[in-house]
Amino acid sequence: MKKIKSFIVATMTFALVAPVFTACSSDDDKTYENIVSEYTVNDEMVAKQKAQSKKDVAVLLVAFGSTWNNAFQAFDKTKAEYEKAFPEADVYVCFSSDICINRASVGENVDDEGNLVKRDYYEPRYLLHAIGAAKYSKIYVQSLQVIPGEEFSAVVASVKKFMNNGYVANAHLDDEYLAQLAEDEAIFLGMPLLNDPEVDVPEVARQLNALYSSETQDGAVAFMGHGNPDKYDTFKANVRYTQLEETLQAINPNYFVGTVDMKDNFKQDVMGRMQDKGISSGKVYLHALMSIAGDHAHNDMAGEGAEYWDPDEEESEDNSWFEYFNHKGYTATVPVVGNHPQGLLELSGILNVWIKHTKEAEFFEDAYHSMYPEE
Amino acid sequence: MKKWLLGVTLMCLTQTLLAQDILKEDSLQEVVVTGTGTQHLLKDAPVQTEVISRRVLDSFGGKSIEEILSGLTASFAFSEGDMGSQMQMGGLGNSYILILIDGKRIHGDVGGENDLGLIDPHNIERIEIVKGAQSALYGSDAMAGVINIITKKHTQAGIYADNSTRYGTHNDLRQHNTLAFNFGKVSSQTNFQIQRNDGWQNTAKEYAEAMVITDSKNKTVNKFNNWQVSERITYQPSHNLELYADGTYYIKNINRPRNGTHPSCDVYTYDLRYNNASASAGGKWYLSGDKDDTRRNYLTFDADWNKHAYYYTYTAKHYDYVLLKGEEYGDQNGEWFSVAMKPGQRKLQSDQQRMMGQLKGVFYLPYENTIHAGAEYRYDYLKAPNRTEDGTASDWTSALYVQDEFNKLEWFNLTAGLRLVNNRNFGVRLTPKISTMFAAGDFRFRLGWSQGFKTPTVKELHYRYLHVMGSSTFFNIGNINLDPQTSNYYSANLEYRGKKLTASVTGYLNKLDHMIALANVPVGEIPAGVTTAYQGDGSDNVQARMYKNMDNARTRGIDVTLSYQVMKDLSITSAYSYLDTEANMYDTSKDRMTHVIIDGTAYHKWNASVTYSHIFCPCYKFGVNLSAHGSSTRFYQNNGNGKAFQIWRINTTHDLGKSGKMLTYRLEFGVDNIFNYVDRTMHPYHLGNTTSGTTVHGTFCIKFNYGKRVKNNISLTKQKINYEED
Repeated sequence: MKKIKSFIVATMTFALVAPVFTACSSDDDKTYENIVSEYTVNDEMVAKQKAQSKKDVAVLLVAFGSTWNNAFQAFDKTKAEYEKAFPEADVYVCFSSDICINRASVGENVDDEGNLVKRDYYEPRYLLHAIGAAKYSKIYVQSLQVIPGEEFSAVVASVKKFMNNGYVANAHLDDEYLAQLAEDEAIFLGMPLLNDPEVDVPEVARQLNALYSSETQDGAVAFMGHGNPDKYDTFKANVRYTQLEETLQAINPNYFVGTVDMKDNFKQDVMGRMQDKGISSGKVYLHALMSIAGDHAHNDMAGEGAEYWDPDEEESEDNSWFEYFNHKGYTATVPVVGNHPQGLLELSGILNVWIKHTKEAEFFEDAYHSMYPEE
Repeated sequence: MKKWLLGVTLMCLTQTLLAQDILKEDSLQEVVVTGTGTQHLLKDAPVQTEVISRRVLDSFGGKSIEEILSGLTASFAFSEGDMGSQMQMGGLGNSYILILIDGKRIHGDVGGENDLGLIDPHNIERIEIVKGAQSALYGSDAMAGVINIITKKHTQAGIYADNSTRYGTHNDLRQHNTLAFNFGKVSSQTNFQIQRNDGWQNTAKEYAEAMVITDSKNKTVNKFNNWQVSERITYQPSHNLELYADGTYYIKNINRPRNGTHPSCDVYTYDLRYNNASASAGGKWYLSGDKDDTRRNYLTFDADWNKHAYYYTYTAKHYDYVLLKGEEYGDQNGEWFSVAMKPGQRKLQSDQQRMMGQLKGVFYLPYENTIHAGAEYRYDYLKAPNRTEDGTASDWTSALYVQDEFNKLEWFNLTAGLRLVNNRNFGVRLTPKISTMFAAGDFRFRLGWSQGFKTPTVKELHYRYLHVMGSSTFFNIGNINLDPQTSNYYSANLEYRGKKLTASVTGYLNKLDHMIALANVPVGEIPAGVTTAYQGDGSDNVQARMYKNMDNARTRGIDVTLSYQVMKDLSITSAYSYLDTEANMYDTSKDRMTHVIIDGTAYHKWNASVTYSHIFCPCYKFGVNLSAHGSSTRFYQNNGNGKAFQIWRINTTHDLGKSGKMLTYRLEFGVDNIFNYVDRTMHPYHLGNTTSGTTVHGTFCIKFNYGKRVKNNISLTKQKINYEED
């Protein structure tokens, strides 16, 4: 009986104590440790590269990202072109989209032979830290965005963070090194493709026309950009699409520029403008106005078949441009190279605009000590 | 020793004999508590109550509460979600259904889905179902209704232990263990359960990235395992005071495919984990009278703490966008940041904690009035570091209620209740409830009207998260501008309960205003700072959805149940439910009101079963249950409708050993989905039913009894049934 009583006491104690343990148990939060260790992983990779190349200049290309193999190839080619243009520099490519990095690393898409393609990409904040830890004496950060919009503002923020040593305590960079970078005016920010409406927009229009003027003889040519939702139209950058269309139309009235996200510039607005110009049938050539041809280009623009057409909601963003124009009485065509639409980085004339931006990048003088004045 | 043996044998013999009477009179003598909080014979319950008795549960042999409710009633519809069970009752989803275990609400949801794995099917004594917000006692937020799971309690003197192990197709294991003892004033009951299933895949086809892939590894139901331990101690210091303390601890893991080759839909970099815990204490104090007095006034008091935490368990390196909070982050404190999670690590997504205090009393007054009055306070705390703006959110609600049952006239019962709710954000609201019952012989006619009031939950207000469902990615966003939901529930019921035949017809109409649902909104609504990381893979694949008040909704239906005792050993039961729903939603993209059927509802649902049981000899009792349930097409606004289905199952039970023995055994064998019905609709389109086709199962139970046991439920009169206050 005594044993039983002590058993009762034990179970009672358990009943009272078990929940307390639960309440106190930690949530296994490894956030801090993971941040520090990820800096280390990036730092080691860059240090190794720098030790191998013995170069003292770094170029960091920051793209939104993609999971498409043809996009990976476009980034590879871009990197190679940059290495030619900057022989003195180590060139790095990174993705600002976590989801793209995660999915690219587990293999979101297949190559044209059907093989799964897995690629590891880095995150700009960690990679920029690593470039600083390796103490490159000159750093170019080049935005691979098309417009100076929301995505670009994130690139600006990450450079500011870098120059202000805004990292967790265990990952602080050498502040003297950062001061030296500022003093040497050796941190550069390369602007997006359509940065300057006076210079970049006409140049890009000229390059596009050089490639597609033959199509304008045959029908309308519509470019599909991304654009920012109205609420996030940082710097009012959406206006570049309008400016590009105006500039292209000055060359040839058959050019149109629309987006997937910019208010009043969706596919139906593009068609509306075509109709205003009396183009209500005939061929429409569709091109991506994005750095690479990924999901948007393949699905939102070129998507073909019933999956891309919901007749009840014609203007739904799930309905592709291809199906939309075809259902509206046009004959839509998506010109492809090797089975894929092309992204702007794959057009050498356009890539050269980006490279020019890097070469002419200005010292980012606002960056150093701009964020934490007390430091 | 011989005396002792003789006594036990005699007692058990009596039990066996009486058990047969119990079977016969089961439906007549069933006692229910859920509708009013006081005990009533089912026949005389003022609030229409549906009961699934232990006898039915035993012969059905269901492996989960989902299987039990969908197989034994026509009121529920289930669809397995990634994270739990999406349940519907009368067309309304989980958040409108109050699930009680012994009168206490279960806690925690993920994406509005309750984890029903918390309910151990082997430990259920009976299930009571009350539709609509008809009970003043349990909160007016039970707009669809209340399911009260009454658990088995082994409070008799002596030691009791059992083990039940059920194994079936898909490596399905359900094990339940009980150890209970009672010495003098103290009794203890410990339960331990394990559940496991490897999951299954009905189709390898999946529509993803605007094409049909044929080698998807997504399962129809994911692999999972869970275990739970619970302990309850009761102490009766005097004849008018009972005290209890209990605690539970629960872990569930859901494993998702790792061998997929299409990361946009079937490769996952993290599994899901849930951790629940609870502790409560309370008691019941009889204010007057002696223990044989059935009309003793009493007070009950309860204090509860519940926790429901939800984690990701990473299975590959995965960048997560995390809100850094804490001094250790220095300048980055308060910033959203990409953090690389490593395989094996866990990260808390949400931790819902709830504290409740309740005090209630039942007072028997002159002229056959029974007053039930109580006060309740509830504090909800949500910790969701990356899923709320500030990392945490909280809410409190207090309530006062009073209910009077007026029983003066034999042919008439009136139960009227008022519940006064005071919520931190939404102020005070009074909700009335009235039920009347007219009796004539074996006929009962009931009319009910109740108002419901449901304030937005902490999650609906503050929670936001990325929800990846196969190839579709949603960003679900809480909305602090929500209004509370209100409802008016009207019902009429006609019931006949004869010795052999029971038949009931119920018509109801539930009108809801300001119903809260996720509605598509422009991506621009995703909170600033989160857009960059969450706009997905560049395809704008992310659909932003925000909790919004829909204009209004209504559900109406007719439920019919029928049961007939054909002969002593043979009974048949059947149920049919007709449901018609409509919700009005303002479509911002089209600037117009749209009328829609509530997602997942079907017009017709039914079930039927035949049960035969016979005692062939004192040491062998055989039982067989053949049952079927079905549903017409289930309607959805997106991703197609769920196909109509009907599923048949058979379960046999074999009770071995004389029940007087210290050890008794039970075997069960069964085949579920006899005709191998499988819905192979491709992912992510809706299935009518997620069954994998024919499955088989077998169960072995062993029960151990030691000591003097007094079975109170031998004499099944209303007065003497020793159900605890549920």
